[in-house]
Amino acid sequence: MRIAIASAATAALLFTTPLMAADMVFTSWGGTTQDAQKAAWADKFTAESGINVLQDGPTDYGKIKAMVEAKGVTWDVVDVEGDYAAQAGKAGMLEKLDFSVIDKTKLDPRFVTDYSVGSFYYSFVIGCNADAVATCPKSWADLFDTTTFPGKRTFYKWSAPGVIEAALLADGVAPDKLYPLDLDRAFKKLDTIKADIVWWSGGAQSQQLLASAEAPFGSVWNGRMTALKESGVNAQTSWEQNITAADSLVVPKGAANKEAAMKFIALATSAQAQADMAKATGYAPVNTESAKLMDAETVKTLPDQQTASQVNADMTYWADNRDAIGERWYAWQAQ
Amino acid sequence: MSSQIRASTASAPVRPARPSGLRWTLPALAFVMLFFVVPVAALLLRSITEPAFGLQNYVALLGSSTYLKIFVNTFLVSAVVTVISLTIGFPVAWALAIMPGRLASVIFAILLLSMWTNLLARTYAWMVLLQRTGLINKMLIGMGLIDQPLPLVNNLVGVTIGMTYIMLPFIILPLYGVIRKIDPAILQAAALCGATRWQSLVRVLLPLALPGMAAGALMVFVMSLGYFVTPALLGGTANMMLAELIAQFVQSLVNWGMGGAAALLLLVVTLALYAVQLRFAGDQRLGDR
Repeated sequence: MRIAIASAATAALLFTTPLMAADMVFTSWGGTTQDAQKAAWADKFTAESGINVLQDGPTDYGKIKAMVEAKGVTWDVVDVEGDYAAQAGKAGMLEKLDFSVIDKTKLDPRFVTDYSVGSFYYSFVIGCNADAVATCPKSWADLFDTTTFPGKRTFYKWSAPGVIEAALLADGVAPDKLYPLDLDRAFKKLDTIKADIVWWSGGAQSQQLLASAEAPFGSVWNGRMTALKESGVNAQTSWEQNITAADSLVVPKGAANKEAAMKFIALATSAQAQADMAKATGYAPVNTESAKLMDAETVKTLPDQQTASQVNADMTYWADNRDAIGERWYAWQAQ
Repeated sequence: MSSQIRASTASAPVRPARPSGLRWTLPALAFVMLFFVVPVAALLLRSITEPAFGLQNYVALLGSSTYLKIFVNTFLVSAVVTVISLTIGFPVAWALAIMPGRLASVIFAILLLSMWTNLLARTYAWMVLLQRTGLINKMLIGMGLIDQPLPLVNNLVGVTIGMTYIMLPFIILPLYGVIRKIDPAILQAAALCGATRWQSLVRVLLPLALPGMAAGALMVFVMSLGYFVTPALLGGTANMMLAELIAQFVQSLVNWGMGGAAALLLLVVTLALYAVQLRFAGDQRLGDR
């Protein structure tokens, strides 16, 4: 069975071989976010180290598993969701990071584990196309109130931190009492608006749904609202009880260019690279020194400044319960 | 490999049998073996070995009302798409068979162009057309036919429209092949014998076209069963199809045991239907001789 998968992986290798010894591969989710990562991190890394960085994507946890099991890992650094990073590290899918190369003293400790560091962090906010509706929902409770705010609303399709938390907050659970998540209560609350939910499966789709007013409001990543506003849509963001979650940078177990991978992560999480990334995307830096390097106007629009009513998704809780929640989530969606 | 030996014995000079041609398919067979059969078998094997040896994945899959609903939904959508494709496709195939050659080739070009256009691009185009503020709803509202936009996307309607559009060529082409072979004189004979147009259609044309209809319908049905892109983009989660469930198991939940089990069930159904199709095709060939 191993051999079978190995042969498939070898085939994949054969087709992607313009890899020289000094190259490495960075994998992320595509779209504007990966473009920004390439500009802010990869291009600079190549200029400094002479190591070419090949871009690949989108991130696929099934592929990581296949590569690690077949011992043919072609991805060196991968941008993954924080809860996956915490779970995969424990499951032996990831390399331990070399903190003699990566300086973690300046990194937000919420997003640092033995196997991962933050990539950038974002908030689920309440986004709204103000031209399409009379009033925009301001709180999670508003978003779950179909009488005052009729019409379709959009939520993240995949089982991940964000939507269940929003349902519980809308139902009146205090932010400090969210964990462990009361799934029964969350799904009961979600049932009340299920018929009015349009799911978005990628950032671009969430923007399209809002812009076209197919679903004029919903729970979206804050950076996508920044981009939508720049494109001329009257996009309004409510930061009330914004729910933060982070992407992480990880190195799959057995990565071919481990050394280059550690150096890449060191640069990507440095203050300047994180500041450049934040400027380009509207997502927050994980390096605590980055804010100093940006102008005050930009800093104000980032999730790390919207702390007044901020709620942090508990990645450790999610890592431990990811499979169980996932199964229940998808079963509920399909009902 | 034993087939290779058989093929070479068959071409031995002693008894000049008809060459089977099998050896020419060896590169293709090897390719399919290495890159399709082996990896697929490996995944299917996981369905009885992960997390432990046994049938627990199949028990979980068949014992859950949610997954059963997805199975039923997959068959339902495929059946609806097949029936609609057949209903729309038959008149087109017939018209193509009787219209002047030049006009027919223009229509063929349109059909093939639509087949050659990127699937994702076509599906996104439907998304734009069908959404609440899309062209179709705007036109209907502008014409005063409706007040509120119709929900045409992110539901069963969207999936059916999108998939029917993609499947149409697959039903028109085999049907055209069969209808063209029908001698127009037979229809004239029916008319001369006093058959109305309806009677010629139902009692002469349709029975003669039946093999083509069956072949096309089976092809569309089987293709629909495993369809992923269109249901994922135009459908909602409440009418999820099997291929989406498999992708969810493999990519998102990283539960390859369940993914393999779902894939095997899909494969079994598909192969069973393929066996039916072979039978039809076999009968058709017999009829030709």
